[in-house]
Amino acid sequence: MLLLEAQLSESGRPILQPGEIECQLIDSTDIDLEQETKPPYWNPLLGGIVSLTTHRIIWIERTRKKEPVQSRAFAIPHPAVHALEPPKKGGLKSLFGKQAVKLRIVVGIRKDGALATRDAASAVRVVMVFRNLDSNSDAFVTRFQEVLEAKAWTVIPPTSALPGRAHPGSEPSFSGRQDGSQPSRAFTTAHAGVSGILKREEAQAKQADETLQEAFGDLNALMSKAKDMVALAERIRMRLAGSSGGTGGGTDEGEGSRQEMQDLLLSVGIASPVTRENAGALYHQQLSRQLSDFVGPLLVKSNGMMALVDVYCFFNRARGTELISPDDLLQACRLWERVNAPVRLRRFESGVLIVQARGHSDEAIFAQLAQLVKTPDGTHFGISASDAARALGLPPALAKEELLAAEYRGLLCRDDGADGLRFYHNFFLELDSLQEAAAGQQQ
Amino acid sequence: MERAASGITRKFVLLAIGRLPEELGRSWFDKCFRGLDRPLRMAFRRRPGISGLQGATAARAQYKTLGEDVAKVRTEQMTEQLATFKKSLEDFAQKYKNDIKKQPAFRAQFHEMCAKCGVDPLASNKGFWAELLGIGDFYYELGVQIVEACLATRPHNGGLIDLQDLRALVAKKRRTAKEPVTEDDCIRAIGKLKALGSGFEIFTVGSRRLVRSVPTELNRDHNEILEMAQGKGFVTAAEVQAQKGWPPGRVEDALETLLREGLAMIDDGDPDGQRRFWFPCSSGDGNLSIEGQLGEGPIR
Repeated sequence: MLLLEAQLSESGRPILQPGEIECQLIDSTDIDLEQETKPPYWNPLLGGIVSLTTHRIIWIERTRKKEPVQSRAFAIPHPAVHALEPPKKGGLKSLFGKQAVKLRIVVGIRKDGALATRDAASAVRVVMVFRNLDSNSDAFVTRFQEVLEAKAWTVIPPTSALPGRAHPGSEPSFSGRQDGSQPSRAFTTAHAGVSGILKREEAQAKQADETLQEAFGDLNALMSKAKDMVALAERIRMRLAGSSGGTGGGTDEGEGSRQEMQDLLLSVGIASPVTRENAGALYHQQLSRQLSDFVGPLLVKSNGMMALVDVYCFFNRARGTELISPDDLLQACRLWERVNAPVRLRRFESGVLIVQARGHSDEAIFAQLAQLVKTPDGTHFGISASDAARALGLPPALAKEELLAAEYRGLLCRDDGADGLRFYHNFFLELDSLQEAAAGQQQ
Repeated sequence: MERAASGITRKFVLLAIGRLPEELGRSWFDKCFRGLDRPLRMAFRRRPGISGLQGATAARAQYKTLGEDVAKVRTEQMTEQLATFKKSLEDFAQKYKNDIKKQPAFRAQFHEMCAKCGVDPLASNKGFWAELLGIGDFYYELGVQIVEACLATRPHNGGLIDLQDLRALVAKKRRTAKEPVTEDDCIRAIGKLKALGSGFEIFTVGSRRLVRSVPTELNRDHNEILEMAQGKGFVTAAEVQAQKGWPPGRVEDALETLLREGLAMIDDGDPDGQRRFWFPCSSGDGNLSIEGQLGEGPIR
């Protein structure tokens, strides 16, 4: 294959590199080589989803519902792209109804036929065909050109591998004075001693003030200085966090727990939220995948179960300003089954909605319940919701749900008596099988 | 003596250069002070006796105060800078909301800044239409902030919070927004969360309005009450409150729910006049377990 393999998450979303941000999604797209004789290893990629990021263009195979096989994905890194040949407009053909739009991408290849991000020996044309006529392919092409111009891949993200883990007050890279990790300045007496330290402190504070003023002049200024400002914010935060621990003043408890929340949300922030603008018709489907990737790790922390309202809060917080409505969230959850997500939505009798890991199956709980009704006490008096709650360590209301579900499966039998609802082992199932066995013997 | 002195000096210098990352600072310090340490040691050697000791102590104290002053001034400066930073971010979040949304790469950076400074990027104004029709981002944003406040206070209150307190928390978070957040706004915002299932709701206890954020199915308070009832088979509200230290609303809500679920029964006939909540369905001695230990069974 000419294109590079790309990694997908469990739910089929591309896994982005540090600093990489998804810009646009488009569906029903083919990728093929535009030449008569195609190399033997080349297979055209048909009808997939294409994700344009700041670093790559990723083609993702469409998932088939029946097959739980991971779909494949291939990418063209932007540095390999030499030029774009946008679709011609207003040609004669456009008079006769709509045509599939074709975008030609000139990519460099090495002598051995692999994609070359630099020092390309030759170039080939890769053609992208947008089959979905309703999709906004014009916007896609424009965005593609913008991204190529921005050259975001040339910027190495600072400490993005471990956000929030940066050293307290690491050397101020925002000043552009020094980017090395080691203080490389020579030791002179001017920098030494108490006065040297004081001088440096002062200079730094002044510089930070200036940077702040410049950056917040208008939006463009902030955009161009964004990276430095993030570093400055981090520096101030770490510094103040360290000193407030020592002096212990100013922050009350509520503030403290809020800060914890803030940290929690920061650690799970979604850099490339799926939005209506960048995903178009794919919105709910992609949102569903992103949500599933997001919820997975959260569920692990909360015993495999979370109220949907909590998920709504965490997800929206991680998305920053790109809020989604409760209805959109619900729709995304409902699509989980279709996208083979490892999580599922569950509705209780009471109308409460929760999110559960799919691996967190009822089977394990049913097995425990079945064992419980066979204990001496269970056989004599049956088990109530509170018994089950205590034995399984579940909240009573949930235990009741599980008992009812087990009853529905035919594992348990109810006795709704004076002292409440109790459940017993269901012997009727065994009766049936005994009768069958007896009938079999008679014949 | 030498060790103590160099220890103190070292401490001071580390304090003053606290802005360097720790390992960096240390290696830097060692590099510089290997040189400085020697003369220091020499000085101590040259001045033995009481006056030498006194001099060293005075010097030490001076270094220390200086170090503290530097650290204090610096913290003040930082606090000021943070305030400016916050203010500017808040202004930008409101002014350029739509422009920020259009630039995916910048949006990510903007969010990072907000998160690091503790600025809430959600600060839409209510506006006329939101007030009138309940449309726009305002109530959705408020909804997210409300759930967040509930989540943050959950360890203290078990998922029950007074509507007034909730409003105060959210209002504090949104201090930049021009209009104040009213209780009515909170109620409307919570109403918007209806689609997410029925776990999140407002209910009234006496004259207070409480917000419940934990659905019954996930509420562990009930387990604790069941646990308490193990020995005697019953509990009273006062007992639970005394033992768990929960606020009154929380105890009542948990007991009510257990009653509604059919797990508890009320007994008002006790001579002491306190309502007892019996748990007849739990096998009194709590010997029911998966391991199947033998027991005498419940008394009925």
